[in-house]
Amino acid sequence: MRILDLLRMSSGSLLKRKFRTILTVLGVMIGTASIVVMVSLGLGINRAQMEQIERYGGLTTITVREGRNDGYYGGTVNGASVYIAGSSSSDGEVKRLDDEAIRMLQGLQHVKSVYPILTFSAIAKFGAYESDLSIQGMTPEGLEDQNIQIGEGHLPTDSSELEFFYGNKVAADFYNPKTYDYPYYSTGKYVVDLSKDTLFIIFDQSAYWSSQNDGTVQPPRKYIVPTAGVEKANEENEWSSNGYTVFCNLDALKTTLQRIFRNKVIPGQPTTAGGKPYKEIYYNRASVVVDDVENVVEVQEFINSLGYSADSNIEWIQSTKEQMANIQALLGGIGAVSLLVAAIGITNTMMMSIYERTKEIGVMKVLGCDMRNIQELFLIEAGYIGFIGGLVGLGLSYTISAVINRALAAGGEATVTSYIPPWLAIAALIFAVIIGMVAGFFPSRRAMKLSPLAAIRNE
Amino acid sequence: MAETKTPVIQVKDLYKVYRVGDTKVRALNGVEFNIYKGEFCSIVGTSGSGKSTLLNMLAGLEKPTKGQVIIGGEHMESKTENQLVKFRREHIGFIFQSFNLMATMTALENVALPLTFQGVSKEQRLKKAGELLDLVGLKKYKKHRPTQMSGGQQQRVGVARALVVHPEIIFADEPTGNLDSNTSEEVMRLMQKVVEEQHQTLVMVTHDNHLASFADRIFHIKDGKIVQIEDNRANRSGEKAAMPQQGPGTEDRVDA
Ligand SMILES: Nc1ncnc2c1ncn2[C@@H]1O[C@H](COP(=O)(O)OP(=O)(O)OP(=O)(O)O)[C@@H](O)[C@H]1O
Ligand SMILES: [Mg+2]
Repeated sequence: MRILDLLRMSSGSLLKRKFRTILTVLGVMIGTASIVVMVSLGLGINRAQMEQIERYGGLTTITVREGRNDGYYGGTVNGASVYIAGSSSSDGEVKRLDDEAIRMLQGLQHVKSVYPILTFSAIAKFGAYESDLSIQGMTPEGLEDQNIQIGEGHLPTDSSELEFFYGNKVAADFYNPKTYDYPYYSTGKYVVDLSKDTLFIIFDQSAYWSSQNDGTVQPPRKYIVPTAGVEKANEENEWSSNGYTVFCNLDALKTTLQRIFRNKVIPGQPTTAGGKPYKEIYYNRASVVVDDVENVVEVQEFINSLGYSADSNIEWIQSTKEQMANIQALLGGIGAVSLLVAAIGITNTMMMSIYERTKEIGVMKVLGCDMRNIQELFLIEAGYIGFIGGLVGLGLSYTISAVINRALAAGGEATVTSYIPPWLAIAALIFAVIIGMVAGFFPSRRAMKLSPLAAIRNE
Repeated sequence: MAETKTPVIQVKDLYKVYRVGDTKVRALNGVEFNIYKGEFCSIVGTSGSGKSTLLNMLAGLEKPTKGQVIIGGEHMESKTENQLVKFRREHIGFIFQSFNLMATMTALENVALPLTFQGVSKEQRLKKAGELLDLVGLKKYKKHRPTQMSGGQQQRVGVARALVVHPEIIFADEPTGNLDSNTSEEVMRLMQKVVEEQHQTLVMVTHDNHLASFADRIFHIKDGKIVQIEDNRANRSGEKAAMPQQGPGTEDRVDA
């Protein structure tokens, strides 16, 4: 028989028993919809989690800080034995992040880039208000990699002059030191427009506080730092990891600090045993970007073994992933049970249909319909039920998904959503057809084996 | 005449024994005969004499206990079920007592059904089916469904369906069993006519001696045995009987 004729005959006999077909389709529809909606919730939660992790510094970034070397390292990386024996390496020695260390990290396998970060805290004064700025000096590449949304101006990539780029929440942090009032939080209005107003910056905080407490001490110098730009304002309630940060160029910050604190210890920097400053400025931390998520653990362990302290989101991701797999398996399982019930429904419908059509099948066999064709007719019929049920079920899934998303959005929980990617839709449809055919397999064999004599008997 | 030709159907030493509990029912008890091309044969006997059993065995719907059924040189008893289906699809037409038309299909579609099984295109098979409905005198009933037709009309559709694949042999088990006597004669005459025109071989089972007399030869069966083979060409029933006979031996068509 021609495939087209097979399809036509199968759909014809389904249409003949409309009511029963609809009931069976209904079962498959509910089964498919429950699987798809369940999995879509799992995927939505998963995606929300991953987005959250992404916001906390991405999946491939390792943060390296200075660490206390335990004096031993011998290990293998990628099969090659590695032995680190720096001249400065001895028991209890602190491994600090200097330019040499950055270059070393840069040279490691799987490392795409390394951004050293120097942080510094300074006071900003504007009229009666002041604020503690957390300044973060970064290389131009590092700045560009932060995905900062520029509202005005440009990133402070110029290393010859110190410029500040303000995060979009910095202006909210200005307060009146006499009343401890934060105008932004009490009135909702910013007291300073960072893109226009001129701030006075005090780098030497300890001198400032002593001058405040003791009138005889000369207050430190105030500096005016040009503004490079301001971060774009957020959507309401949206959180920005950079909001409270003041970015500047790393080298510009280094030269400025060295000039201001000439021969003195720069706050936050380590000192020698005798309390004297080092010649070099050490970085507070470095972001190591790894080429692939797969290699994060390996690189992180290696950096740790060198004596530095290395952190990443990887443990978090892994535990999250396991959690997600469990949730998805559970939700999918609930859906699978309902689809199983639907499959039993298909088998039952097909068996009934075959009992009713014993004579018809017999006649077809007497008239020379191939046994394989007879089996195919019933398989296609069951497949049709699966296909239509799957299709309608998908439509229902999209509707339910939209309703859930709307309800969650209304409840303020915008991150957890039901999400149906195209692959899920296609897989669900194929799955429904396969379920239908598997459920129809036993009945179809039954039909194929029916005796043609049934047609001859005259009752 | 016919005896000099190779037969289309050869039955040799055919037995069929049913076991019901401890007792054995010998439905066929050593049957032997030949049927030649272009013949219209009827098998007649009382109820329970084994007519249907014999016909089912000829059509390959049932396996014999012992013996051979050779159709067109092929042994039916040694074929698998799949091979039998294929053989029926290509060489055999079947007319049922209870018509057995597909209830959801029109007359035209019903006649075209065997061609569907052969994989003939829709356009071609409907054209062919139309021609056959014209032949059996149902030109105006092509779009009718079985429930919209009388028994006689339904059996005409059944006849057309059996003829549509141009089978070498047509089997019919009590084709007029569900019809009144007038309609029965009509259908018998129709079968007689088409068999003659299309040079086909027809084997019909009946318990009615009058209907059996429409055939060229009559096989009398009793208790599973052929007791008499009667040549009926000289005094056939029906209009054609009056006309000069065109014996099967004079045909120029080649056997399958
Ligand atoms: N499946 C079977 N099992 C047991 N016995 C059977 C079976 N089929 C037929 N028989 C027996 O075989 C014998 C012949 O049956 P068959 O159907 O061939 O009769 P028939 O000549 O066609 O009769 P009728 O004119 O009533 O149709 C009967 O005695 C019947 O009881
Ligand atoms: Mg019978």
